[in-house]
Amino acid sequence: MKIKDSIDRLTVKRSMRTGILLVIVAAVTLEATSLIQNYFAQKNLREEASMRAESRLDILESEIMDVINQAEAGVRNKVWIAQWCLNIPDSLPRVAQLVVKDNPVLVGSTVALVPGYDRDRPLYAPYAARTGEKGDSLAFLSLATESYDYPSKEWFTKPLEIDEGYWSEPYIDVGGGEIPMTTYSVPIRDTDGRNAGVLTGDISLDWLADLVGDQKIYPNSRTIMLSRKGLFMVSPREEVVMTMTVQEVVSQLADSMSFKAINRAMLNGETGESTVTINGDKHHVYYAPVERTGWSMCIIIPDDDVFSGIRKDDMLILLFQLLGLAMLLIILRSFIRGQMKYSELNERKERMEGELQIASRIQMSMVPDSLKSFPERHDLDMAAAIIPAKEVGGDLYDYFIRDEKLFFCIGDVSGKGVPASLVMAVTRTMFRGAASHEDSPERIVQTMNDSMADMNENDMFVTFFLGVLDLTNGHLSYCNAGHNPPRALTDHIFDLPVRPNLPLGIMQGFPFEGQETDLIYDDALFLYTDGLTEAENGSRELFGEARMDAALHGRKSAMDHLRDIQTKVEDFVGDAPQSDDLTMLFIHYLGTGKGEHMTLTNDISQISLLAGFMDKVADENGLDPGLAMQLNLAIEEATTNVIMYAYPEGTEGKVELGASRQGDNLIFTLADWGKPFDPTMAPKADISASLEDRPIGGLGIHLVRTIMDGVSYKRAEGKNVLTMIKHI
Amino acid sequence: MEVNITKENKEVTVKLAGRMDTPAALEVAAKLEPLKEEASGTIIMDCSEMTYISSSGLRIFLSLRKAAATKGGKIIVKSISDDIRQVFMMTGFLNLFQIED
Repeated sequence: MKIKDSIDRLTVKRSMRTGILLVIVAAVTLEATSLIQNYFAQKNLREEASMRAESRLDILESEIMDVINQAEAGVRNKVWIAQWCLNIPDSLPRVAQLVVKDNPVLVGSTVALVPGYDRDRPLYAPYAARTGEKGDSLAFLSLATESYDYPSKEWFTKPLEIDEGYWSEPYIDVGGGEIPMTTYSVPIRDTDGRNAGVLTGDISLDWLADLVGDQKIYPNSRTIMLSRKGLFMVSPREEVVMTMTVQEVVSQLADSMSFKAINRAMLNGETGESTVTINGDKHHVYYAPVERTGWSMCIIIPDDDVFSGIRKDDMLILLFQLLGLAMLLIILRSFIRGQMKYSELNERKERMEGELQIASRIQMSMVPDSLKSFPERHDLDMAAAIIPAKEVGGDLYDYFIRDEKLFFCIGDVSGKGVPASLVMAVTRTMFRGAASHEDSPERIVQTMNDSMADMNENDMFVTFFLGVLDLTNGHLSYCNAGHNPPRALTDHIFDLPVRPNLPLGIMQGFPFEGQETDLIYDDALFLYTDGLTEAENGSRELFGEARMDAALHGRKSAMDHLRDIQTKVEDFVGDAPQSDDLTMLFIHYLGTGKGEHMTLTNDISQISLLAGFMDKVADENGLDPGLAMQLNLAIEEATTNVIMYAYPEGTEGKVELGASRQGDNLIFTLADWGKPFDPTMAPKADISASLEDRPIGGLGIHLVRTIMDGVSYKRAEGKNVLTMIKHI
Repeated sequence: MEVNITKENKEVTVKLAGRMDTPAALEVAAKLEPLKEEASGTIIMDCSEMTYISSSGLRIFLSLRKAAATKGGKIIVKSISDDIRQVFMMTGFLNLFQIED
């Protein structure tokens, strides 16, 4: 049992492993599909984020460019005036004033001359600035101070160097309220084409933060604006605005490589997108330059924001998937349990069937081997067969010879299976026991019944037929206990008359009544269980007695009869499963029966012995001398025929003659073991033929036919048997 | 089976006594074989003491009868019992033989 348990556990484990494997496969498949789905969803979302960022950057740029363009236009439009006024340096402050006055975006303007251009003033940079709360009044200042040193400033040198308009790096205006500013400077050339100075316009950048931070395209998206040198112009981290460059910040970041690459691209004025990791989270970065200013903007969007939609969906899908997989696992587990139980049942069933097969074999071994039953006996040809159903059944037969008496029985235990087979075994043992010292069938049956009723606690019973055949004289005594009557095979087929009585094991002390009859030479009994007549074919038809009788006609060897029936049953039943045991017993009596019998040799002088034999028959049967003489004549003719022709000349052979009485019939049998010869087939003699036409021979058979009322021939088992019947 | 053959004038009398079964018939046939030569005359088969006859015996009767027929003689079956008459009847011999009491 320990081994069995561990095998069971192993099987469970294996099954569970299979189940888990199945769940894993399902999970992988699910995940793969959702990954593919996810991939496309992500791709879409990424594209959407990219599109939204780009359009946001476009809008920002165009809004910025609005201001820039206005500022540039405001300055450029006045360059010609400044050029024109170079000859009248004192009017230059008016030009600066004009620039500011005409353009609301500009908060200040200066005309700064190249040092020494004005002979009177080595440095000259008059400055007009918008003041007042509404910015509606102007103040005039000069940038040409010792401390400021405007000629060294970028806004002054760069435009002259590149000979075109230039936006300066943003800066904090120290004088005017600490606001971030930037300056647009355009070179001024005099009529001779010499560099005279620059005309500038300042714009405040305080609106940039509002503009840029105005709208967030994702909840946590950030917009950053850098100057061409990397200074933070706009940033959610206000402390870095206008104070730190992106290079300084980036070097402190973890994912500095990515940042550096982005910065480089941004500072080169490129458009693009990338990803970075900030504080361990992935972010998407979209960047684009602002034209002409050298500025660059970027929008940083956390990955979670971009994919927040599917992240939420993902969670939901994952939840459902897990739920589904859990259910799958539960179903699989219960399925496996079911399978286990089923296979356990199967195993148990198989074991049981194995045991039943053993039981069936034991059962079969209990009944005599029927193949060659009493081959040494000439007065008996018998065969028996059990065709067991798949399930062990309770059919039985048995026979043995004691004191020249054949004890035989057939029985059918109610029910099937092991209990039935046990009862069958008990019944058979009791039969052997009771019949070993008792000759009377009814007393044997009574003894068996009493013992069985006594110990029958399971209400099982046995239908049983018991016969005792005296082989010396054919006397049959029998007792039936509820079994179907045997078929009696004489010159016709009929049910042996039986009293039904009761099956064995039902009522103790039941007075079973026996019966008697006499068998004569060539009579046969066919005993069977209802497994034969009730054999069913696929259409639920029964084999029935008619089919059974058809196989019983004529006399063959007992074994051939059984084989014939078996073949007929098999053909009839076809593929339908055999539901019940099928048991048959064929007893062919070949003794001389009650009456006289003698054995002769194939010597013609033996014929002389017939007279004495026939005298006895005549005496026993009270025949008148005339009939006696005729019968003597017929028997002599038949016997002479055998002695003369059955055996080859010079060989010795045996001839058996028997005479018995069956009711009003005298039955003579003549048997030999010589060559097959059927005298009934001899041509009829023509007794009316003329003397000339009369053959000398041929009268013997004619006499037999004429004297006897019935003559039949049969060849079986190497034996010729001529049966002659005379009605008296 | 006893066989007694007596000749008187041109008449031969064969007296058969006892059972003419097959073994007996074989002996009788041998004894009667020479009679066939004298079958031109009259042969009387005296059956008064014959109690039984088988077909072998009948064959002797028949072969004698045939011989007589060719030689122009005749066979008279005399004093057969009723039982043997029955056998003669069964075999059609009643028509072949002249039967006298």
